[in-house]
Amino acid sequence: MNPLISLNNLGKIYGDKTALHDVNFSIYPGEFVALVGMSGGGKSTILRLIAQLEQPSSGKIAYAGSRLPVTRVMFQNDRLLPWMTALQNVSFHAHAAATQKQAQSALNSVGLSEFADSFPSQLSGGQKQRLALARALMANPELLLLDEPLGALDALTRRNMQQFIRQIVDEKHLTTMLITHDVDEAARMADRIIVVKSGTNVYEVAGAKDGSPEEVADVAQSVLAVILQPDESAVRA
Amino acid sequence: MENVTTLRETRNSGIHINWHRLLPWVIPVVLIILWQVAVTAGWLDSQLIPSPLSVLEDGVTLWQTGELEKNVSISLFRATVGFAIGGSLGFVLGLMNGLSKVARGLTDTTIQMFRNIPHLSLIPLVIILLGIGESAKISLVCVGVLFPIYINTYSGIRGIDPELMEMGRAYGLNRRQLFSKIVFPGALPTILVGVRYALGVMWTTLIVAETISSNSGIGYMASNAQEFMDMDTVLLCIVIYALLGKLSDIIAKTLESLCLEWQEKGGANQ
Ligand SMILES: Nc1ncnc2c1ncn2[C@@H]1O[C@H](COP(=O)(O)OP(=O)(O)OP(=O)(O)O)[C@@H](O)[C@H]1O
Ligand SMILES: [Mg+2]
Repeated sequence: MNPLISLNNLGKIYGDKTALHDVNFSIYPGEFVALVGMSGGGKSTILRLIAQLEQPSSGKIAYAGSRLPVTRVMFQNDRLLPWMTALQNVSFHAHAAATQKQAQSALNSVGLSEFADSFPSQLSGGQKQRLALARALMANPELLLLDEPLGALDALTRRNMQQFIRQIVDEKHLTTMLITHDVDEAARMADRIIVVKSGTNVYEVAGAKDGSPEEVADVAQSVLAVILQPDESAVRA
Repeated sequence: MENVTTLRETRNSGIHINWHRLLPWVIPVVLIILWQVAVTAGWLDSQLIPSPLSVLEDGVTLWQTGELEKNVSISLFRATVGFAIGGSLGFVLGLMNGLSKVARGLTDTTIQMFRNIPHLSLIPLVIILLGIGESAKISLVCVGVLFPIYINTYSGIRGIDPELMEMGRAYGLNRRQLFSKIVFPGALPTILVGVRYALGVMWTTLIVAETISSNSGIGYMASNAQEFMDMDTVLLCIVIYALLGKLSDIIAKTLESLCLEWQEKGGANQ
């Protein structure tokens, strides 16, 4: 199978700071990939480059069919528009006339059907993230990019949302890249886990999606060990 | 639990709501009554400070001769036209400089220089250049309202959360959609603060201009009355200023509640 996107020797420099160098990996259609790593390692930068919100300084990203697939991003914070109702937030980017119905069904699918006319400030933290998810799912994206979308949620809501996202992604056969600090979350949700360290991908391991708690813990353990290993490039520098 | 229910019922009763509505008018009414009493009782010299009733009588007389109506409408006309022109200019300049780096580089320094000139100090200049006709008063109002609207439009736009902009771009909005869905609604609360402030500036400017140089308008009516020591009319004009100020306030509040429903509904989660 051909990859949906391939990152080839990708590099990004901000001023005189190297945020990314020699990033190489691919994401295949229908795959759920998790990116984990320490804060400042370059995960969000990789996401922004894939979504074409920024241009790489070196290397390139190859997209299947030579165009960016329809991509939806969920950010570290909900980034809802405070002046729009839930329904308007879900459909603000859609052009088609039939969107009202689609938007309502996107709200239904995340369990927010009664909140169509509420403003974001009237929703709880978990509801806001679900609303942001509904927005990302509108208009059938081909690629879903999730940047630490559950970071601000309490443990219980977080577990619910993990299952919920997996379920929707499976139903819709979405290709997904999830960024997270939480190695357990990565092990539980992903088909494949990529560790990003000091601006490059250093390690890859199969996730333990649908696995037993022991399997999940095993994978999480080995990923954590890689993350916590002393940084060779930093030692050299 | 029963206690709680009873409490709620009392709170929602019609009497309470009416009282709430009347509350803002208590102080003005009491002041006017005190004023009337003070004049009637002879504590105030009615030659110097006429009673509210005689001010009202004066108002009725002037209304019947058509003079009051004429002066109020000419003032309203100047205020509206000046506000419309100056406000639009300020808004457009604010948009341009908020959105475009080139426009900002080109005009911001100049605007900041002009902004620091008190606009009322331009009165002598305007009188020499434009005489005491309509254009003089209207252009003073223009200059007065231009800057508050400019500054607030500009800073409203510059203050837009860059993360929301990035989100908009990630969702494929083009420049026009970015503006109509994110930039403008996001800047609107700040712009409306500018509108509210500019409405105040509008009246002050107009009244000063009319008092100094005019042959019509409320400001003229007041300065004309002053020459004849006609205290009734002087006080009448002051009362009209107060009412017009209140009118501006109502306009601003209505605009805000129409445009900013989302802010009013915001709960503790905000
Ligand atoms: N716009 C920018 N300008 C300058 N430096 C930047 C910019 N964006 C990111 N960086 C730098 O690039 C590096 C990687 O940042 P990035 O946001 O990708 O990290 P991250 O792995 O997502 O971290 P976190 O887990 O905390 O979100 C950081 O050192 C950061 O300071
Ligand atoms: Mg990040």
